[in-house]
Amino acid sequence: MKITLFEQAPYRYLPDDFEQHYESVCSTPYSLTTRDGVYSSVRDFLDELMHGARAGFDGVAVTEHGQSSYDMMPNPDLVASALAYMTEAEGLDVAIYPMGRSLGKAREPLRVAEEYAFVDVISGGRLVAGFPIGLHYDAAINNGIPPVEIRPRFDENLELILRAWSEEKPFPFNGRFSQYPQVNPWPRPLQGTPPVWITGLGNPRTMQMCFERNFGFNYLSWFGAKLTGQRIFDRFWELADESGVERNPYRVGFLQTIAVAETDERAEKEYAQHLEYGFRKGLGSIPLEKLAIPGGIDIRGVQALAKDPSDFGLYLQMRGASFRELVDAGVVICGSPATVREQVGDFCRRYGIGNLHAMLNFGSLPRELTMRNIQLFAEEVAPSLRELWRDSGYTHHWWPERLGGKPTAPTEGGGATEGAVDTHTAARTAVHA
Amino acid sequence: MTTTESTQPAISEEFLAVWNGRLTIRVKVAGAGPPLLYLHPAAGLAWDPFLTQMAEHYTVYAPEFPGTSVGDPYAIHAVDSLPDVVLIYEEVVRTLGLSAPVMVGQSFGGMIAAELAATFPTLPSALVLLDPIGLWREDLPVANWLTTPPDQLPALLFHDPSGEGAQAMLAMPDDPNEAAAATAGMVWSMGSTGKFTWPIPDRGLRRRLHRIAVPVLVVWGREDSLIPVGYIDEWQAQLADSRAVVIDDCGHIPQVEKTSETVAAVTEFLGQPRKVAP
Repeated sequence: MKITLFEQAPYRYLPDDFEQHYESVCSTPYSLTTRDGVYSSVRDFLDELMHGARAGFDGVAVTEHGQSSYDMMPNPDLVASALAYMTEAEGLDVAIYPMGRSLGKAREPLRVAEEYAFVDVISGGRLVAGFPIGLHYDAAINNGIPPVEIRPRFDENLELILRAWSEEKPFPFNGRFSQYPQVNPWPRPLQGTPPVWITGLGNPRTMQMCFERNFGFNYLSWFGAKLTGQRIFDRFWELADESGVERNPYRVGFLQTIAVAETDERAEKEYAQHLEYGFRKGLGSIPLEKLAIPGGIDIRGVQALAKDPSDFGLYLQMRGASFRELVDAGVVICGSPATVREQVGDFCRRYGIGNLHAMLNFGSLPRELTMRNIQLFAEEVAPSLRELWRDSGYTHHWWPERLGGKPTAPTEGGGATEGAVDTHTAARTAVHA
Repeated sequence: MTTTESTQPAISEEFLAVWNGRLTIRVKVAGAGPPLLYLHPAAGLAWDPFLTQMAEHYTVYAPEFPGTSVGDPYAIHAVDSLPDVVLIYEEVVRTLGLSAPVMVGQSFGGMIAAELAATFPTLPSALVLLDPIGLWREDLPVANWLTTPPDQLPALLFHDPSGEGAQAMLAMPDDPNEAAAATAGMVWSMGSTGKFTWPIPDRGLRRRLHRIAVPVLVVWGREDSLIPVGYIDEWQAQLADSRAVVIDDCGHIPQVEKTSETVAAVTEFLGQPRKVAP
């Protein structure tokens, strides 16, 4: 199994009663911050990621959230490029993994292709190219994209980027959302087309696209993997079977917030308050009406959620969630190395997960505790987990060649938009009855 | 004129192939008399007592916006731009064979009706706009109805959400499956129309309003909290021939919250309906 260190860059010094007064995105008053607080939150975040790279993680992963107090990361490529250079200079063979640039949000898709290409060059071919569709608040509110257009825009942008990387000759691009008289980015990725990963929350069309196009699929367990994991991964593998795609665990990535200390008791004592801070003041303080804006979720998805909101797991109660509730829902796994090994290992085995994104910083967790969490995880947890799937016979086709993967190119297929209408860039997707 | 509760007329449906066959527009039709084209608000078409009363003197044609028709949600992906929307509606009017219809538009429908009348000045005979969106003033921001929490929507739409008309409009089916389907349909309708109002419901209509060549009645609820009554001046400043009626104790949907007053204002403006042209 491949194991990355995933981090967000939360502002760590929000007031205790933050969640009673503020939302964590879009409207959060910047006056709550101090200069030193912002500096140390971001500086420590970078140091922690480098610590992970040095501690032997297979990759370092970040993602994109604009206008957000829980992740001050308007463009993950800024961090990815810094990590790419630092790790290259130090000779660290880790994947640089922006999870990454949201293409439902991007108004300059060619720039995304250029940035990723440049990061791949800096890193000597270690980029893993993540493309989330885009959170509604980020794409629609922060970037002005009509919610119903997020997926069609994602589809068109992705086609442009893949083509920009792979076509040898300059070409004109006549899209609905962007037009370019000549597309010919310099440089191109050293890898040609780096491994492509899509982040999804459970929409079957997104999963289907990953099978059709030979993309990896990342599921981020923010809502509580004990509540949502079985639903999501059963759906995923059943769709794989229907698509005639083998159940290769390496095509799935799973993000889990993890807190490890010497003993279970010490883990709870040291981490509980920071985990509560992280989820109450982070995801829990994103109001539903900004996470699910009309038009952004497919009509049948809305109908399913209206009847049974289980895909949202603990999210609707997260603003006041206790440590125990976070643990019980699987939002976090917290304990001794043995506890964490067992719980994470069980989960990955049960659901066929071949890539673990371990989120080891959260909320207000101070630098020293984060560093120790990273160190303990790297030394006491990761080695045994890494053995998972080693003798399974499956090959990792979604990982850079320089890092031991055997990447295969994207294939033709549909996009992420249910009921998309034919354009010259996106094939029409099937409309299921 | 009657303002008492009317029984719902027989409503028929027509399915029009337009946009070179890429769209099938569903049109609800009721009543008898000269043509009246009704363009619905952002959440989709709901046949209300106002339309029932209009149908006593007019043949009411109420097309459904692409994406808002039950069973055809992905039609919205076939419509790319607001100019295309205007041309699609012109095709609808032409395919229906309507000659100089009265056009009535509510909220989002008011914006579309105004766009249509500005693009095709001779298409309608008169225009009635009920709390239309489409203009923007920095000092009078329009509420973002797409990010308003569901439990706050009634107060955004109605001066008195507990009123009879409001309650009838907000009622949901008892059956959980039907309720889920109704919720999903309404949410998707708002998403579909939102394609042409997000992020700011101003697509430059102000620059085009001077082209409207027919009399316009602008009706507004004085307590409209979605788009404030102050916008009435903005419309009148741009329109060559307009009248305004402000209805007291009324929110964003006058024809539901104050049906009698709305019918009275519209009827007075339109006068006696003409005989249908031979």
